[in-house]
Amino acid sequence: MKHILFILLTFCQISLFAQTTISGKVTDAKNNPINGANVYLDGTYDGTSTNDKGEFSFSTSEKGTQTLVISFVSFETYINTADVASLKNLKIKLRDDVNSLDAVVINAGTFEAGEKAKVTVLKPLDIVTTASAMGDVMGALQTLPGTSTVDEDGRLFVRGGEAEETQIFIDGIRVFTPYTPSAQNTPSRGRFSPFLFKGISFSTGGYSAEYGQALSSVLQLNTIDKPEEEKTDLSFMTLGLGVGNTQIWNNNSFSINTSYINLAPYQEAFPDRNTYTKPVQSLNGEMVFRHEFKDNSLLKMYGAFSYTSFDVIQDDINFEDGLRFGLKNRNLYFNTSYKNKFANNWRLETGFSFANDHSNIKIIDDSVTDIENSMHFKIKLKKAFSNRFKISFGSEYFITDFNEDYTTESNKKYNLNFNNNIFASFAETDIFFSKNLAAKVGIRAENSELLNEFTLSPRASLAYKASKNSQFSLAYGQFYQNPKNEYLKFNQDFKAENTSHLIANYQTTKQGQIFRIEAYLKDYKNLVKYNDEYPIFDSNFNNNGSGFAKGIDVFWRQNGKIKNTDYWVSYSFLDTERDYKNYPTAATPNFASKHNLSVVAKHWVEDWKSQIGFSYNFASGRNYTNPNESGFLNKKTKNYNSLSLNWAYLIDQQKILYFSVNNVLGNKNIFGYNYKNTANANGNFDRQAIIPSADRFFFVGFFWTISDNKKTNQLDNL
Amino acid sequence: MKKTLLIIAIFIATGIAAQTKYQTGMQKAFNLWEQGKMTEASQLFERISKAEPTKWMPAYYAATVETLTSFGLKDEAVLTAKLTKAQEFLDVAKANSENNPEILIAQAFLNLGYIAFDGQKYGMTLSGQNNQLYAKALQIAPENPRVILAQAEWNMGSAKFFGKSTAPYCAQIEKAIELSKKEKIESEFYPKFMLKRAEEVLQQCKG
Repeated sequence: MKHILFILLTFCQISLFAQTTISGKVTDAKNNPINGANVYLDGTYDGTSTNDKGEFSFSTSEKGTQTLVISFVSFETYINTADVASLKNLKIKLRDDVNSLDAVVINAGTFEAGEKAKVTVLKPLDIVTTASAMGDVMGALQTLPGTSTVDEDGRLFVRGGEAEETQIFIDGIRVFTPYTPSAQNTPSRGRFSPFLFKGISFSTGGYSAEYGQALSSVLQLNTIDKPEEEKTDLSFMTLGLGVGNTQIWNNNSFSINTSYINLAPYQEAFPDRNTYTKPVQSLNGEMVFRHEFKDNSLLKMYGAFSYTSFDVIQDDINFEDGLRFGLKNRNLYFNTSYKNKFANNWRLETGFSFANDHSNIKIIDDSVTDIENSMHFKIKLKKAFSNRFKISFGSEYFITDFNEDYTTESNKKYNLNFNNNIFASFAETDIFFSKNLAAKVGIRAENSELLNEFTLSPRASLAYKASKNSQFSLAYGQFYQNPKNEYLKFNQDFKAENTSHLIANYQTTKQGQIFRIEAYLKDYKNLVKYNDEYPIFDSNFNNNGSGFAKGIDVFWRQNGKIKNTDYWVSYSFLDTERDYKNYPTAATPNFASKHNLSVVAKHWVEDWKSQIGFSYNFASGRNYTNPNESGFLNKKTKNYNSLSLNWAYLIDQQKILYFSVNNVLGNKNIFGYNYKNTANANGNFDRQAIIPSADRFFFVGFFWTISDNKKTNQLDNL
Repeated sequence: MKKTLLIIAIFIATGIAAQTKYQTGMQKAFNLWEQGKMTEASQLFERISKAEPTKWMPAYYAATVETLTSFGLKDEAVLTAKLTKAQEFLDVAKANSENNPEILIAQAFLNLGYIAFDGQKYGMTLSGQNNQLYAKALQIAPENPRVILAQAEWNMGSAKFFGKSTAPYCAQIEKAIELSKKEKIESEFYPKFMLKRAEEVLQQCKG
């Protein structure tokens, strides 16, 4: 008995004394010691922190093969499985965590908004609080550099490109008709409510191989994955009413946003230059259903319906009684996306969208019915081999079925239709050579059934971090896009239009401020040309057009340096010429202005519980053709100036009163001139200025959020 | 008989010794915390959490210390790195103890770290989440003084901002203090009610 006890005790003693010392030194990649790294044997209590020389030493009674773990914030965790006896005088270099916020970002051409972004240019609230934006996503983006102010149109014109050269995606799936229709010289708006999105990525060039059929720009909107609160949103506006609601149950949530807009009362109070026989009315509804599966995969279904109608007579120098334009448009959009992580760091993203757009248009006494059905299917796989090496690849299929019935005054009928189907595949790789150097290389292949054409577009970008706060990026890419519906409906014997982008970017960021400057060069090839004043069914079309755009975009944003003030300044310089459409020679198109400047500022007044903001937009004059003089696009309009103000008053957490005025100074902006088709008695052509339908625009809204969360907001439950 | 007893005794002793390892570890970590050695404390909690993969408290404390030390940071890269790490621990804690009100309010505290850093960027999504978290915690544990205090403090902040009366929240804080005196904590190292802090908050509320 005593023997056993003795042996047991001795054994314990031995085990107590049989300690192994584990020691070493921890440094970063440049041999600087790391102080305070956590060093331990996994699954045991044995461990320590490194000292200011990066050294560590601790003893353990563990035996045999153990796993040594060294972890430190913003470095990759080091793991070494070996015999404890061998873990002595180790020299360990921790690798930088390339996922950390201060790692280099591939960002040439791209602006990110939302909290996931490493460098945020716009914040989610900016869309609703930017004075000139009037709650429109597109309006807020037009305060970023690279966009041109084309106020009579409202769509995004990026770096010398036409509005159709920008493609818009929701959750990676294409939107086919992103803008609400509007009368001539009246700006259109984006169809989506800004409140359904958590992040926006706006690329003004050099984007990933994942995106095609866009010559100039890609805008990605990502819907909220998981709403946090059940709530009801009510809006009462001078233009109409809005209701929104979010419900959450189990792993599901459902959000709906609807609005009814009627401009009749507004036009009664502030008559504009048009004669509305039917005022602008629109009914919009959007909904998102989300379901999270047990394996954390996520299904999102987004649906939007909108109906717009109006009938207007606009003054026109060529029509004594004015030019009548009537429209009834209904648009249905449906988008489903699914994402899942599986196996060993694989990620699957797939989805499809369907759009049905139906327009009845009346121009004078002609009537046009356009029906466009479009679909997009996409599947993408992504594999992360490590934090530093990732690949992604996928395929997609676009279907567009366009049909137009044209009935003339004299009851002649024409039918135009085409199917524009495109199959595409893409592959891309992301490589981090270090925390300071990263590259993205990809290729995209497209096959257009309509044009019977196969195209290959290589894309590459590179980013180098030069110091703690600054980095350089470069991007190059080839981009193809089929000609627009306006041409395809008359002729299908085309090639895809093409551009190449070359971009160089420098960015420096500090807490609360960001400065970036970007230079670009775009080369356009195979642009569509035709020989008539407007493209018509017997026009002669060809693909011999070409053009270029080059320029510099500058962005500066600072928040908080001036107390309670957030402001940004965007400046774009654009030099572009095109020989396309029916141009007799290369010229700067009428939508492009050489200089564009936006200044947006917001100031919070604590005592008034108010945010007061302004935005100022400037654009230098745009070209127009004066037929009384020789030459094409031979004159320039005067400069464009507009100052907008807004005031948001927070009545309480859930009630906001909002006022805004666009072009408060009432500048008489001119977008161009409309010349009479026939000369007057003196042999001159008379003209009419193209001007906005009203100089100023007022908006008053009351927004009320009712949170269903009874526990948190009922103050009287005590 | 004696033999068996002895052997049992030894077994028990070893068992106790193994338990003590956790206790001494936790105790040591709390001591480091009290001494203001936050990094060491957080790292020790991290090690204990890795050694005791089924316990929620070490991970919960590792997350809490990381969150606590992120307040006042100026560098967003460091802040997000720390809070991401805190989130990983909190996820471990959540996996080990579902619907735990203490973990729910720790999550709200972590979110507050982001909101305090940049309200415009993070406030829109995270404040809604926080409302939800406090509501859920209160539903599970309506008499938990820490939950009541945390929620009152959160609501007090927004009431102050909107120039509303904070009176209902002062009453809640008083209620939390009251409840804390009656509260019986059964498991060792369970989060404690910070009476001193509660009194400070009450002062702010009334002041």
